Amino acid sequence: DMFSLRLKFIFGPCAVPALDLVDQRSVTRVTSPSGRILYQVLGSSGKLYTCYSSCHFCTCPAFEFSVLQKSESLLCKHLLAVYLSQAMGACQELSVSEEQLTSILLAEEEDEG
Amino acid sequence: LCRGGLAERLCRLQNRQRSAISFWRHQCISDAKIPSDKSGVLIVKILEIFEECTIQVAICQQLEQSPAPLSPEDAAINAEEPILKVLFTRETAAHLKSRPQDVIHIYPPWQKLLLRNADVPVIMNTYFSQKVLLSEHSEAREKTYGLTKMLIRKNIISLAETFRLDDPDDELHQLSSDHSVACAPQIHNNCDSKWHPSALSALNDSLLEIVESQGAVGWREAQVRVVIQRVYCLTARQGYRSHLQGNKSFCATPIMNTESPNVRLCLLVQDAYGMFSEVQLQFLSSTDDIEQHWKRREGKFCCLSGMKILQRTTRGRALGLFSLIDSLWPPVMPVKVPGQNQDSELITTNLPPPSFCYILTVPSGEVHVEVDEEEQISNLYRPPTVRGLKEILQVDGSNERCSFWAQVLYLRLQTKHSVPINQREILLFVTDSTLQNVVHMIPKVVAVSVTASCVLSVELMEALSVASRLVFFKDALWGNGRIICVERTVLLLQKPLLCSAAGADLSELTGPVRLDELDSTTQANSVCALRGTVVGVNESTAFSWPTCDRCGNGKLELCPQDRESLYCKPCSEVVITPVLKMQLEVFLSCPSRPQSTVKVKVCHEISFRLFVLLTILLFLQSYEVQSVLGKEVGLLNCYVHSVSSHPNCVALEEIVLL
Repeated sequence: DMFSLRLKFIFGPCAVPALDLVDQRSVTRVTSPSGRILYQVLGSSGKLYTCYSSCHFCTCPAFEFSVLQKSESLLCKHLLAVYLSQAMGACQELSVSEEQLTSILLAEEEDEG
Repeated sequence: LCRGGLAERLCRLQNRQRSAISFWRHQCISDAKIPSDKSGVLIVKILEIFEECTIQVAICQQLEQSPAPLSPEDAAINAEEPILKVLFTRETAAHLKSRPQDVIHIYPPWQKLLLRNADVPVIMNTYFSQKVLLSEHSEAREKTYGLTKMLIRKNIISLAETFRLDDPDDELHQLSSDHSVACAPQIHNNCDSKWHPSALSALNDSLLEIVESQGAVGWREAQVRVVIQRVYCLTARQGYRSHLQGNKSFCATPIMNTESPNVRLCLLVQDAYGMFSEVQLQFLSSTDDIEQHWKRREGKFCCLSGMKILQRTTRGRALGLFSLIDSLWPPVMPVKVPGQNQDSELITTNLPPPSFCYILTVPSGEVHVEVDEEEQISNLYRPPTVRGLKEILQVDGSNERCSFWAQVLYLRLQTKHSVPINQREILLFVTDSTLQNVVHMIPKVVAVSVTASCVLSVELMEALSVASRLVFFKDALWGNGRIICVERTVLLLQKPLLCSAAGADLSELTGPVRLDELDSTTQANSVCALRGTVVGVNESTAFSWPTCDRCGNGKLELCPQDRESLYCKPCSEVVITPVLKMQLEVFLSCPSRPQSTVKVKVCHEISFRLFVLLTILLFLQSYEVQSVLGKEVGLLNCYVHSVSSHPNCVALEEIVLL
């Protein structure tokens, strides 16, 4: 309980949605044989967002707006869910080939463009 | 929000806290004096304030007690006093309107946080904070500064900092609380987490060692820790004599019923050395929920004890079991090599797939499997790769296990009159977005044959008989151009836990489902859509019959009392408004398959308010066949009974999709 209140204090509005994502086991840790890791989070709208924990990034529009553009938030609910799932060991695990990982990474790029 | 989940709990805590805060603040205002209870109160003097991402950060000096009113000149920082970083939420900051030099009393429950790399402790959960007004000096100050809006510096974190480009070692938000902390698991992580200390001494992680040292009958004391890779049900007869038998049905009920419990819950487990074993657990009744068993156990660690060895089976004798094992090979994590030092691990390249497997069972129906459900999914767990149907259909090879998530459009029992109803094979017609959005060469709908060896839960059958549902087919078999569900295949109504990286679309189908149109490539036992013109009616096969409007019973009788009414035995009631069902075979000329004679069995229902059976029959006999000829028949969904080339004929039956 203390833990979740601390979360709420620091992360504010992100805390409850992030915990909800963790409850629903929406975070998947995707690994490839070369050791690359990325995270896929199934958002509430059904869309799949990709998060990188090594450099604190998420592909969702909320992150782009609140964190990058306006510097209003520390992170988005998906990233918080990733960190929480990591710490609580609540990540789903998925192991893919190099090609598949590359295709995820490239797919994100295409969306941006 | 998930019921009972963390999010819901936090919401409740939050609401409670909010009311506590407003109550406290109200009390403070009405009190106007500093409350005498000083225990746990943190007293700080603000030195500097800035804002960072909606949190207000105040660099403060901790004071031992409430200071005597100081003159503004005494603002020199006493180097002895400890410096703190106090965080305030935006809302608290707005309430406090604090400035440098202000003294704040922070009431419990506040929290202190010590970060690994920083030496300044952080104070959080500062909801219950109160500004202490000093003497007249401050009042004067308030008047002067009160009018001008204080601009607080906003500390913008550079992108380099956000992405941690300059500090690769720093882990964001490492909370040193007593709750569990874990870094991102490394690839070479040992697959152990919580170990119960009492069992540590007797706990083993090698199945082979346990089996060879303990013998066939009951393991005493020893326990072995394994990962549950798959959870499924087997019918009793199959046990360990499982072969791939295609269409042949086993002498066992595929659908569970309470009369004869002959379905066992089984686990396919893997130890730290990569060795597999099939563990046969308790018998299930129809009230058991397979989906719950699957959800609670698959992917988790468990401790096996007191097992009995049923058999040591090899690849050649248990094709079905080994096709599943092959789908789990190679392991996703490096496995241990027997005989080596405990700590050394081998990368799993070029390790041959296992050639034998032990079948274990629990003696006398007791359960000796402890699953720690709180634990995380094991790193060794290899979830089924969910693929789109299009990808599966293009796979080369035979007897491969495949998993997919598809919409069931139509269900058909394969009727073989010699076989009892609950042992018949079921044909499910499924599709997904990968098939629906395809132009040609690949069918839009695929038939999945469910053999009697594949156990279906009662919930699933009930759900499928009512409406079209999305079903997760786990570990179905693909071979010889067909997808079949055999033993160890599990059909679930729940979405798969993990999504495949590339292609599987778990969303619902958008738009109406389309079937392939009847053409020269249409085969028997498939579904298709057709349109054409009626060129003939097979009058000899045309007939109609009244059915009960309540239960659909087609065998109505004449009422014993009143020979003019119809009576339905199952309902034990007179049928006042029977539903008239008409069956007619029509011959169509279809432009999509011009050379063939297309015969379609068409069934229609009409509800009549009639009193007499005879009247119905008379009505029908005057029905003009001629008026039907030449009629255009729109897109009909049909099941193809048979296709023959000599004579070129296709026999179909109109169906209603779920």
